[in-house]
Amino acid sequence: MFLQLTLSGVSQGALYALVALSLTVIYRSTSIVNFGHGDFVMAGAFLAYVLVIGLGVAYLPASIIAIVAMFLLGVAFSRGLIRPIRGGPHIGLALMSIAFGFTLRGIAATVWGRDVLPMPRVFNIDPIIIGPVLITGNALFTIGIVAVLLAAFFTLLHLTDIGKMVQAVHQSERGARLIGINVGRFHDFSWGVGAALGAVGGILIAPVSLLHPDLGAGFLIKGFAAMTLGGFGSLGGAVVAGLLLGVVEQYAGAYIDTAMIDITPYLLIIIVLAVRPLGLFGRKVVVKV
Amino acid sequence: MVTSAPTLSRRSRILWLVPLLALAIPAATNAYTQFIVNAMLIYTLATLGFTLVIGSLGQLAFANTAFFGIGAYSATIIGTAFGLPWLLTVPVAGLFGALGGFLASAAALRGIRLYYLAIVTLAFGELMRWLYIHAGVVTGGTDGLPVPLEQDFGLSLTSDNVQFYIFLVITCLLFAGTINLLRSRIGRAIIAVRENELATASLGIPTSRVIIMAFVWSGFVVGIAGSMFALHVGHVFPESFGLTQLIIGFAMVLVGGLGSVAGAALGAIALTALPELLRAFPGMEDIFFGVVVMAVLLALPKGLAGLLGRFSPAFQQRYHRN
Repeated sequence: MFLQLTLSGVSQGALYALVALSLTVIYRSTSIVNFGHGDFVMAGAFLAYVLVIGLGVAYLPASIIAIVAMFLLGVAFSRGLIRPIRGGPHIGLALMSIAFGFTLRGIAATVWGRDVLPMPRVFNIDPIIIGPVLITGNALFTIGIVAVLLAAFFTLLHLTDIGKMVQAVHQSERGARLIGINVGRFHDFSWGVGAALGAVGGILIAPVSLLHPDLGAGFLIKGFAAMTLGGFGSLGGAVVAGLLLGVVEQYAGAYIDTAMIDITPYLLIIIVLAVRPLGLFGRKVVVKV
Repeated sequence: MVTSAPTLSRRSRILWLVPLLALAIPAATNAYTQFIVNAMLIYTLATLGFTLVIGSLGQLAFANTAFFGIGAYSATIIGTAFGLPWLLTVPVAGLFGALGGFLASAAALRGIRLYYLAIVTLAFGELMRWLYIHAGVVTGGTDGLPVPLEQDFGLSLTSDNVQFYIFLVITCLLFAGTINLLRSRIGRAIIAVRENELATASLGIPTSRVIIMAFVWSGFVVGIAGSMFALHVGHVFPESFGLTQLIIGFAMVLVGGLGSVAGAALGAIALTALPELLRAFPGMEDIFFGVVVMAVLLALPKGLAGLLGRFSPAFQQRYHRN
């Protein structure tokens, strides 16, 4: 029972981790939290769905097309809608991403209605049973993808020149400009990468949670919870917190009450921030007057 | 640079003609439009409270839907339990809303700021909604609660016209209160905290107290708007206080003009009317809504109040950065 719960929690948490990871990538490079990210996730899943079910494309090419399309959408969003108000208040940036997400959701609802659509599984392999526990092929695949992406982005951010660029832009956009970094284009690219990662999340989430236009909202909150717990901007923190959230949800649902599943992320956010206002792995930022 | 325009307060007195003119509105409406106009007043008040925290105080706190729901539920629950007439539940809603504001300010004072504050207040709102659903004995669960209207001092509160006049009086009183608050020492301190909290503290201004004041007043105003909402709909449901409501409230603040008192009314009126006009295009509401908000953010960074401020100084903000 306990082992099975942990394992289900980890496979569910891997999806949260993926959403948190993509949010973190955008935040690390642009200092903006994407409040419309849930709808990026949803849009990626819908694109894959249309290609696989509507046009009969095989899973892998369909996923790649959806991911590339979402990358381009992210770049276009940054270029057309975020860059012009970049100097304005944070609140405007937050609302811009919400409004864009609202529009994406509206488009999905207009085209496909509000019905719940079934998404076929990526792999139709039988669940693997080891002793008392069971894990699905999908879950294993998701965990694998998260591990690979985490390793890739960790390497990118900590061991390459691109990582230094991210750090430079995050610390001071003006300074980054002075040393010849094209900050605007860098931001566009980062939004693209974030949106593409969101699409990866969507494609993996849809077979588990079914597909509907409001799919993103719930996962956005879980992603936020994981990101907050992990300390904003920490890749490893986001992933660890995402997995932790998945596991805690399962325990709370099984040992306390099933109604606790919905509320776990909120309670975790409030409790953790009450104890450590900067998240579990967050570091204090010193502000100059 | 923070500038102030001393001649402004006299000119903006003209704006007080607006509620006087509004007295005539019920003569020109039918039941449906009157219902919408009443909703506009409720959202005007809710937006006023919200803009105080995110605009004037400059804190990214998304707890307004929580205050709104707390107001609606506390008015209904206490009204039912003690058989109070609705009018007496209004201050109760305000007090509970203020309590909610105090709790939210505790998060801000704990050093939780910017996106952390946004997310923790978001969590607070969703936690409240979860409570409405799962504390079935008190809150009626997903079915919600009917608003008790047995006693109403002989006012026929179910009439939309009667509601309109009551809402108008409450809205005007709270607008006057908020405008005076913003003009007072506390109001200037609130804006100073937004501009630079550390520098404000260095002037000997107790910034923590200022932050608490702003949140508590915001919760008070929005809580009262919540009790008006309960009367308006006649029933409180958990689903009325969800994320969509939060986003709409947020959009009203920015479409009207961040931190602008007049903008709160403009944004609330515009975005309450918009979905009604869009009923002709079923399914397209979300798209239109999103597109309108994006267009306003791009073309009118200071919102509708900023647009009108180009023509009339009455709509200009008293203190703003050049």
